[in-house]
Amino acid sequence: MEECKLVLMGFGAVGKGVAKAIQMKKDMVNEKYGISLKIVAAADSSTSAICQDGLDEELLLKTKEETCKLANYPECGSELSGIEILDAVDYDILIEATPTNIKDAEPAKSLTLKAFADGKDVVTSNKGHLALFYKELIEAKEAAGVDFKFEASVGGAMPIINLCQETLASCGISSIKGILNGTTNYILSRMTTEGMSYENTLAEAQQLGIAETDPTQDVEGIDAACKVVILANSVLGIDATYSDVEVRGISDVSLDAIELAKEEGYFVKLIGGVSEKQLKVSPRLVKKNSPYAIDGTLNLANVTTDLADDITVMGKGAGSLETASAMLTDLINIIKNK
Amino acid sequence: MRMNLILEVLDIPGQLVSILNPISELGANVVTIVHKREIKAEESKAAIEIALEGERENLQAVIDKFKEMGVNLIEVDDKVRKEKLSAILYGHIIDKDLRDTFDRINAVDGLVVSDLQIKLNGELESTALITIELDIGKREIAYNKIMEIAKEKDYLVIDEV
Ligand SMILES: NC(=O)c1ccc[n+]([C@@H]2O[C@H](COP(=O)([O-])OP(=O)(O)OC[C@H]3O[C@@H](n4cnc5c(N)ncnc54)[C@H](OP(=O)(O)O)[C@@H]3O)[C@@H](O)[C@H]2O)c1
Repeated sequence: MEECKLVLMGFGAVGKGVAKAIQMKKDMVNEKYGISLKIVAAADSSTSAICQDGLDEELLLKTKEETCKLANYPECGSELSGIEILDAVDYDILIEATPTNIKDAEPAKSLTLKAFADGKDVVTSNKGHLALFYKELIEAKEAAGVDFKFEASVGGAMPIINLCQETLASCGISSIKGILNGTTNYILSRMTTEGMSYENTLAEAQQLGIAETDPTQDVEGIDAACKVVILANSVLGIDATYSDVEVRGISDVSLDAIELAKEEGYFVKLIGGVSEKQLKVSPRLVKKNSPYAIDGTLNLANVTTDLADDITVMGKGAGSLETASAMLTDLINIIKNK
Repeated sequence: MRMNLILEVLDIPGQLVSILNPISELGANVVTIVHKREIKAEESKAAIEIALEGERENLQAVIDKFKEMGVNLIEVDDKVRKEKLSAILYGHIIDKDLRDTFDRINAVDGLVVSDLQIKLNGELESTALITIELDIGKREIAYNKIMEIAKEKDYLVIDEV
C-alpha cells in the first residue's frame, strides 16, 4: 500500500479542520484509492510537530487546544517553524492554510514556491498569494510539473473552481456572479429581517464570531475581491490581479436603502462579478424570488455558460470542517491523477 | 405554429410594407394585421398587431430580422417585451436637481422612468429607488446612463444584478 505524506502549514480553524477530516476519512481514502494519508508535520505560527512515521490527528488537535503550541506535542514537538520545516521532513504534498495576506502574500507565497521547487504538490485555502501573484505561481507550478489546487480559497465548501474547470469542461464560461463572502451576507440579511442598523448588526456578528474583531477584509469587500481575482484567472483565463478589481464594500449601505429595496421586492447583497469586461465587487439589488436571495452566511455562485446556460451553486463559504472538505477533495483529486 | 406580435412602426406611409416583406421572404405567413389604436405608442409611432404562422425556426427568423431592422417589439405571444431596471441612489437626490435626472434618463430612446420611491432624511442625504422601463436589449444603456449621472452628482449606486 502506498503512502501520501502531508505537511500541514497553519493550524488554525482550517488546519485543524483538515486534521479532523483526515482522521475521519483516511480509512475511506485507503479503501477507495489504496493510499494511506499520513501527516508528517504540522505547524502553527512559531512551532511545529514533526514525525516521519506520522502524527496522530487527535493528539495534534488536543495539543493545540490545550497548550496553544504544537511544540508541546509529546516527543515530536519542535521549535522549527515556517519554511525550515519543508527541509526538515520528507513529504509529498503541502497543505497550506496560513493567514491570507493581501500586502505581500507571505508566508504563503514563499512556502508554495519552495514546495514547487522541491517538486511537491500544494493544496491551499489561502487567497492572498493567488490574488496578488496568480500568474507567477502557475508558471512556477508548471515549470515544476506539480499539482496546485485551491478550491477552498473561493467559497469554502461550495464547489466552484473544480466545477467550472472539470465538471463543465465542455462549456465556455462568460461570467460568474456570486455572493462570495458569508460575513457580509449575514450582516445584510440581518439588517433586512431585523431592521437593525449596520453598526449594531456588525457588533452582533462580532459577538457571534461571524465577523472578525477587525472586520475590514470582509465589510470593505477585500475578501470578495480576492475571490473575484482567483475566479477571473482560474476559470475565465483573465490575467488579472487584485488592483484590477473595482471594490466597494457594505459599510455605506444604509438601513434606508435596505428597507426601500425590500418594499419594492428586492434584497441588497454584496455581489462579486467576474467577466471579460469587468471585475467588480459592490452592493447590488437582487429580486426577492431569485436564486441570489439567500440568507445567513451562505455563499452562492451563478455561472453563465454557452452550452449549459446558467448554473447556480450554493454552500457554506466558511467553517472549519466545511473548508477542510474542499481541501481534502483537492488532495484526493491529486492522488487520483497520479 | 402561430405567433402573435405587437410591434411599433413609424407612422408614415410605406412603413407597414417594409415590415411585411421580410415575413414572406423568411417563409412565414401573415394571418391577420390589426392597428392597435388603443395602445399608446410613442409619438409618431403606431402599434400594430400581427398574427403569423410558420415553422418555429421561420418565426424565430422573422423576430431576428425585426430586431436587426430595429423594429421595436412590444409583445411576443402576450409576453411583454419591456424590461424593468431598478437602482438605489444615495446622496443629495433632491438638491442635485431630481427633474434633471428624470429628463436625462427619459431623453434616451427606449428608456422611461416609471417609478421613484424616496426616503428623505431631514436635511441630510436621501435614498431613492428609481425604476426605469426599457426596451429589451437596452439594459446596458440604462445602466451606463445611471452611472454617468451618479458620477456627476456624486450618488452612491446599488444597481440590479
Ligand atoms: N476560516 C474559514 O472558514 C476559511 C474559509 C476559506 C478559506 N480560508 C483561508 O484559510 C486560511 C486559514 O484560515 P483560518 O481561518 O484557519 O485562519 P486562522 O484560524 O487564523 O489560522 C491561521 C493559522 O496559521 C498559523 N500561522 C500564522 N502565521 C504563520 C506562519 N508565518 N507560518 C506558519 N503558520 C502560521 C497560525 O498560527 P497560530 O496558531 O500560532 O496563531 C494559525 O495556526 C486563510 O488564508 C483563510 O483566508 C479560511
